[in-house]
Amino acid sequence: MKLTKYMASGLLACSMMLVSNASFSACATDSLPDSLAGPDGFPERALTMIVPYGPAGGSGQVAQAMAQAVTELTGVNINRDHKPGGSGTVGMTAYMALPSDGYSVLEHIDDASSAHALDSSKPNPASDLIPLVISQITFSQIFIRTNEDRYTDWNSFVEWVIAQDGKATIANVSKEGSMERVTMKAISDATGMSIQQISFDKGAPRYGALAGGQVDALFEQPGDVRKFLDAGTFKPILTILPEAPSAFPDVPALSGTGLDFEPLYRFRGFYVHKDAPADRVEWLKWAFQKAYCQQSYQDYNESKYMHLIDSYRDTEGARELITATISQYREVYKEMGLDVK
Amino acid sequence: MDTLTNFINGTIALFGDPLGILIFLGGVIGGMLFGAIPGVSMLTLAAILLPFTAHLSPEHGIMLFSVIYCTGVYGGAITAILFNIPGAPENAPTAFDGYPMTQKGQAGKAVGAAVTCSAIGGTVSAVIMMIATAPIAGWAISAFGPPEIFALVFFGLAVASSVGAKTFWKGWLSILLGLLIAVVGLDPVGGIERWDFGMPYLLAGIHFIPTILGFFAVSEVFVQVEKKARGSYSAPKVSVDFPSLAELFAQKIAVIRSIVIGFFCGILPGIGATLAAFMGYNEAVRWSKDSKEFGTGKMEGVVSSETANNAATGAAMIPLLALGLPGGALTAMMVAVFQMHDMEPGPLVFLNSADLVWVVFSAMFFANLSILLIGFLETKTIINLLRIPFQFLAPLILLLATIGAYAVRGLPIDIVVMFIAGIVGFFLRRSGYSVAGIVLGLILGKIGEQTFAQAMQMLHFEWSGFFSRPIAITLIIAGMLTLLNSIYSSFFKKST
Repeated sequence: MKLTKYMASGLLACSMMLVSNASFSACATDSLPDSLAGPDGFPERALTMIVPYGPAGGSGQVAQAMAQAVTELTGVNINRDHKPGGSGTVGMTAYMALPSDGYSVLEHIDDASSAHALDSSKPNPASDLIPLVISQITFSQIFIRTNEDRYTDWNSFVEWVIAQDGKATIANVSKEGSMERVTMKAISDATGMSIQQISFDKGAPRYGALAGGQVDALFEQPGDVRKFLDAGTFKPILTILPEAPSAFPDVPALSGTGLDFEPLYRFRGFYVHKDAPADRVEWLKWAFQKAYCQQSYQDYNESKYMHLIDSYRDTEGARELITATISQYREVYKEMGLDVK
Repeated sequence: MDTLTNFINGTIALFGDPLGILIFLGGVIGGMLFGAIPGVSMLTLAAILLPFTAHLSPEHGIMLFSVIYCTGVYGGAITAILFNIPGAPENAPTAFDGYPMTQKGQAGKAVGAAVTCSAIGGTVSAVIMMIATAPIAGWAISAFGPPEIFALVFFGLAVASSVGAKTFWKGWLSILLGLLIAVVGLDPVGGIERWDFGMPYLLAGIHFIPTILGFFAVSEVFVQVEKKARGSYSAPKVSVDFPSLAELFAQKIAVIRSIVIGFFCGILPGIGATLAAFMGYNEAVRWSKDSKEFGTGKMEGVVSSETANNAATGAAMIPLLALGLPGGALTAMMVAVFQMHDMEPGPLVFLNSADLVWVVFSAMFFANLSILLIGFLETKTIINLLRIPFQFLAPLILLLATIGAYAVRGLPIDIVVMFIAGIVGFFLRRSGYSVAGIVLGLILGKIGEQTFAQAMQMLHFEWSGFFSRPIAITLIIAGMLTLLNSIYSSFFKKST
């Protein structure tokens, strides 16, 4: 059975909407009040944001951008406490051990959802935490070197990979059950190509592997390799979205290549303990959702191509996205023969 | 000529601006101070300063970080030499011989050698960076993929088996223990959980900084406490004698070799100064006629390590600036500084921001030179810390080490790991095993395991694939020969 059966079944109910340039002028949380008094003077001191990844990567950067935006909006400082390791497990564990008084928040990515899908004893971000906002949702692409002459586009790439009989390589973060590995499995099943995934857990060696010709292609989100795109070093040959977004009109998307599956997305958001006082949670929701529309945050998101699809989810939208994602991953894991607990 | 003109223009831009001079000096002193104190490394300083760089010009922001990088790598040598507490992992090999030199009353010579060679290594590296950034960066990422880096690690481990242990076999057992510790946590390729005993914090693995602090600083305190209890303790003699020019000149081969090694390790993305320092030290041992004297207070050990780690600083800027590929944590933070100013390091930076690049190049050149001046002053002053009585110094060392272990990730388990390493190190050191070997196994093990798995995937799980990669197979054969020679020596030479 092909993975695409499950990935095409529409389990990800809130399918991503492409954002046109015209709709970008209004921001998602413009309707929220410009200011909101915290309950009983909350917060009386700085907040702590647990970040389960290092300061220099994509998660560290979005944490920094959101903390800055919240501070600009409310005047409340946010101390970022980076606890990297264990694919986000260490940061999550450290956060769950903190008092649920509303003074600490957690940044996390879709890895938390896929981890729960694989092992339900791990926290479910939709129910064991309260999502304050999801502020980045992005898609993936497949990249090749611009000066590559063995193949120049998606069709010639697929043809070349098939001819290599399993010896072609692609760099990604292919740990067991990752979004990258699941997506590549779906692509391989649909095209009939066999490609060796080489796992690099850090960005620099991963991008260096493509730039230096150590691998034949790269699976990545466009915002993370924007400098290589702007420099003309890499070029995308496949956008893993149903339709091509406005920034990549000439790059084939799933619908134009016969790849019929619902793509998985990378998303990053902010959470608070489910047992935190309700009135404090309401203030935090306002602060983080409103901060999403601060100019500094919008500029940051745009620099990372996060404006091409609707990157915003409020609490309920985030819960829907997480729940659908967990369900989708769980089905795919079962299909892949993984031990789903 | 263009390079010289650009360098002069960069220097004028740097020193023609009072704020630029202030930031330069702040970076030099801040890097040295934070580099010298365990736990508050140059990374701590950089993380604190990162948000403030948004208010600086791009030139000032990037220049500040590059200066902190140069002087921070050197700063950790001081505590490594005086108290056996490496300020950062890249200073760990400096302690192997630096601390024994202090115990022999040669602290001034050790610090002087570290100062001089850090400055030489860093300055030469900065000059090469100015001349040939683009072609070197392109060559490095093309020639060195995971198979080559794995082969380099294998070669390094084969050489390291002779560092600090009484016998070849004890050396290898030490390295294997380090490799075993390195597998705790998620495996670096498939994300499989290993040896976590149900403790989520162990999924992040055993970090090498608490381990280094335990094996070096804590175990050393225990050793000295035991001596104190037995009445055999004697305070180190305080000497501020700088090494003579003749002594320094005698190290020329070690310096040149370590510059090459350090530069080479620095340009490989994700490798950086730590591997450079260990490889520099290992090669010094390998090529020395008096290899048995290493670990007992040999100046060449300090020279090799400190030259190599500073030589890696300029080299690490090459992939960062030319390709946008950071080699380590601090260079990754520099990417964030670029991005705060709507810039991206990479090929376009040379076209769009050439002025910025040359201010940074000039600043790194002069930061490395300033190590010589400020380091000389430090040698005459900071060594007097050794005059503090042991009963006050020991708790201070334990306190600093504890703060240092916790500060890395903010995890209490790292303090536990540090004290366990201290106790284990105390017993291993008296039985002839090498704590340096364990640390090396731990650091190289993590890199080696990941690159081995990547290499095997790239080579389609066929060992013969290494033969199609000349650099990789050369390093593997060299490592095998080293290993066989060591085994032969252990059986047929009484001295081993």
